[in-house]
Order: sequence, then C-alpha cells, then structure tokens
Amino acid sequence: MARAQTVAPEQYVPALPKGNVQRLPPAPTRPVRKVEVPRTWAWSSQLGDRALPWLLPLAVLGLWFLGVEQGWLSEQVLPPPAYVYETLSDLFASGDLWINAAASLQRVVVGFALGASIGVVLGLAMGLSKTIEDYLLPTFNAIVQIPVLAWLPFALLLFGIGEPLKYVLIAKAALVPITLCTLQAFHQAPKGLLEAGRAYGFSRWQSVIFIVLPAAVPTLFTGLRLGFTKAWLSLVVVELVASSEGLGYLIVYGRQLFQLDLVMAAVVVVGGIGLLIDRGFDYAERRLNRGRTPAAGRLS
Amino acid sequence: MLNNSLTLENISKRFASRPGSTSQLQVLDNIQLNIAPGEFISIVGASGCGKSTLLRLILGLDEEYDGRILLDGKPIDGTGLERGIVFQDHRLFPWLNVEQNVAVALKNSPLSAKEKRDTVREHIELVGLQDFIDAYPHQISGGMAQRVAIARGLVNRPSVLLLDEPLGALDALTRARLQGELQNIWAKEKITMILVTHDVDEAVFLGDRVVVMQPNPGRIRRILDIDLPRPRNRSDSRFIALRDDVLSDFAELH
Repeated sequence: MARAQTVAPEQYVPALPKGNVQRLPPAPTRPVRKVEVPRTWAWSSQLGDRALPWLLPLAVLGLWFLGVEQGWLSEQVLPPPAYVYETLSDLFASGDLWINAAASLQRVVVGFALGASIGVVLGLAMGLSKTIEDYLLPTFNAIVQIPVLAWLPFALLLFGIGEPLKYVLIAKAALVPITLCTLQAFHQAPKGLLEAGRAYGFSRWQSVIFIVLPAAVPTLFTGLRLGFTKAWLSLVVVELVASSEGLGYLIVYGRQLFQLDLVMAAVVVVGGIGLLIDRGFDYAERRLNRGRTPAAGRLS
Repeated sequence: MLNNSLTLENISKRFASRPGSTSQLQVLDNIQLNIAPGEFISIVGASGCGKSTLLRLILGLDEEYDGRILLDGKPIDGTGLERGIVFQDHRLFPWLNVEQNVAVALKNSPLSAKEKRDTVREHIELVGLQDFIDAYPHQISGGMAQRVAIARGLVNRPSVLLLDEPLGALDALTRARLQGELQNIWAKEKITMILVTHDVDEAVFLGDRVVVMQPNPGRIRRILDIDLPRPRNRSDSRFIALRDDVLSDFAELH
C-alpha cells in the first residue's frame, strides 16, 4: 500500500486565488483562546500557590520556637529566635553587620568577576577549538573534582593570608560552572540554524556571533548563576578559615566565644543575601528568556 | 546572458553504514537531470530514496559525492547566495523577529543597507506578512513561519530555490493555501524551483515535471511531464489521471 495514497485529495480546499495576484492578503491571526476558570477557585488556588513556598520555613521556625520552649536543647546550643533577632538588630544598629557584609560582598564580587571572565574565555577557547578542548578539558575535569578546602593549605603558602587568597579561591569556585556552561553552549549550538547560516554563506565567526552566542544566552546565564552560588558558598568557607572580617568571620568568632546567637544571626544574613542575589539572577534570566523558550523546542 | 540552467551529472553518494565501518550505503546512484531555467521540478519518493540528500548536495551543504553539479555551466562550490533554501522545519532564529529573520539571509549580500531594508520589506509583502514584521517566531503560526522562511529563501533573489518538504509539517488546509501561494510566487519571480516532497498531489499540482525516485539505492525511476495549464484544478480529470499515474509507481514498489 502506497503511503502517499492515504492522502485523500478531497480534503483539500481549492485555494488558488484567481488571476495573477501580485500581493498576497495578510495572513489571518489566530485568536488566543483563554480557558475560563471560576473566579473564586482561581483566587484561592492562586493564594495557595503563593503560600506554598513559605510553609516549610514557617514550620521550621515553629519547630525552633517549640524546641526552645520545651527545652529540647540547652539555650547555649540553640538560642531562642527572639534572642537571635535581638543580636541581629544590635549588629545592624552598631554598623558591624554592614562592615562585615560589605567585606564579604567585595570579595565575592571581585572573585566572581575574575572567575567569570576567565571561565568565559576558557569556555570560548575550548568551544572554538577542538584541539584546545582536547588539551585542556581532561585536566580541567580532574582539577574540578578537588574542593576549595583541599586547595587551601597550598593556596595559603602561595598567596598568603590576605585578600588575594580569597579572590583566587572564590574565582576558582565560580570558574568551574561558568567554563563548563560556556563550552556546553557550543556543543548545543542548534545544528539546523548553523546549516541555514551556511546556506547564506556565514563565515565561522558569523556563525559564532549570529547563531552560537545568541542561542547560548540561556545556558551562559545558567552558568553565571551557578557560578555565583558556588562563589558565595566558598566565600563563607574561605572566611571561616582565614579572615578578620566578613560574614564567615562572624560565624567563627561567634563559635569561638560560644555565642550561638551570633552564629545564627550571621547564618541568617548569609542565607538572606544569597537568596536575594539568586532571585535577582532569576528575574534577569526570565527577562532575558522572555519569548524565547517556546520556540526553543523547534530548534534542531 | 546567464541562462541559469542546472545540470546534475552522474551524481552518486555513499555513506558509511556505521561510523568507522567499511561497508557503505549507496544513497544516490547515478542521478542525471537537466533542469531548464525557470522550471518547477517536483521530486517525489518514499522516505529513504535520497531525495533530501540530493537537495543538500545541490545546496552545497554536503560536498562529498561523485559526479558534477553545474549551475550555468560551472560546477558549484559550497553554498552560494544564488541558491536559496526553505527547510521543512522553518529554521527561523527564535531571538529575531520576522523582519530580522528575513534580513539574516542578506548578511553577506553586496547590497547597501537601504537596499537590504527595501528588499526585506518587499519579500515580506510578497508572502503577505507585512502586518507581522515585528512578531517573533513563537508568536506566529506554523504556516506563517513557513512563509517567513520562503521570504528568507527568496530575499537574495536566487536563480534556484530549493524546497525541502517545506509544507510537510502543516495541516492540510494551510498546506493547500501555501501551495497556491508558492505557485503564484514562482510565476511572479520566474526562477527555478526544486521541490522535494512525499505528497504526490502536491508534486503534480506544482511541477512542470515530476521526478519519481525509488530507494535502495536512491535513483530516478522516471520523469513525467505535467502538461497542464496553470493554475491547476485538482478536480480536472487530466490532473487526476496524472496523479494516479505517479501513485501507481508507489503501489508497485511496496
């Protein structure tokens, strides 16, 4: 049975315009169909969706209150939430919070910028040249497996205990995901579009600038976001070990004086700032991707 | 005076059946075809007959084959702006709007910026999308996206437009309408068009000649002249007879 025979000619509508039409009529728009949802239900489900992310943190906070009230742990180990809040306000009022947070932010920004630039350059180099990829990638993948802490003794000797040490270790943490995502962007370059580019005589550089990089924007952004998370995490680790200011230092200081309220307050600030920055990236990412994602599936 | 005739001389193409394997798969076997300037050629065949591969060779995407492809008497060398293409999946750039997508094809064109802008507008009007210049690919329907792809294929004013199952992914109504539009564009632009399709009805509706291919190895089974006045009427008895004639080739093959 011939496959072509299954197409019944009767189902075609004769659609030829009469005469030699010079300009075709505008294509019809497709109306967007909206699904009607009963208003009360929509309202309550929307409220439910909004509340959902808060349930777990609230439950943990409740458990914290309950634990302190019931005396599950001694107050020295688990300070009451009110006490931590008080410490936090004191830190804020005295300006200590700002000094330490600023020190940490400066380190993470410098280290991240350093790591991101090197990472993008490395990823681009490996993406553009298979030879460079073959030379570098295996070594890179091996080095990636070594955590920041393991580098610390060696890095301490090499860079001393000052700021360069922090910049280098934070940069290293940020560099890894950024390099890999940049490289991945080249591997994932849409083949169909590259072929289309070749049909228009695109040079290698034109293909990279007009196809590979624009298509890579979401992947690159994911790399930057991951890189920042890694940088923020290692910042605290590095400050725990060697620093005299910063949020990580506040945690060590609190531990040494057995002021768990200070530790908790610093942890809350570290988490809060990290979350804020992540939300910022998320927002920027969604703005960048606006209108791109639905079409992405059609790429081949 | 260029005559822009396209000649395929003894085209054969083999693939290694697996990467690294020595056994080879004959995809195309000794294809011979002379295409006159301004002719509309339809190539039909079951999947695996090498019809899309043949189109890629003419486009210049794949240069590993035996035989010669001559455009205007000269062998082709890689891709060239004198050969346009419309792919089955429209392959529009999702981050560019309709106007920019058409303009992409002109990146290496010798035209001035103003000339480029004008010709992009003209071609968008040619496919009737002047009201959608600022729309992005995800905002328009599949049929409209394929019209943009047709405008992009034509914007360099190629002497040959290659159509690789351009309407294959569309619903029957949109397909029938775009077949009509394609035929009008061809009549207006007076360029050579080579359409690869698995839809016999479409091949007979649009082609001056229909080339029927068969697989294993991919070769030309026969070439039919479609000597019917345009625009063609699908209920015309001669149209139906020709279509059934082509279809009978498929029936025998299976």
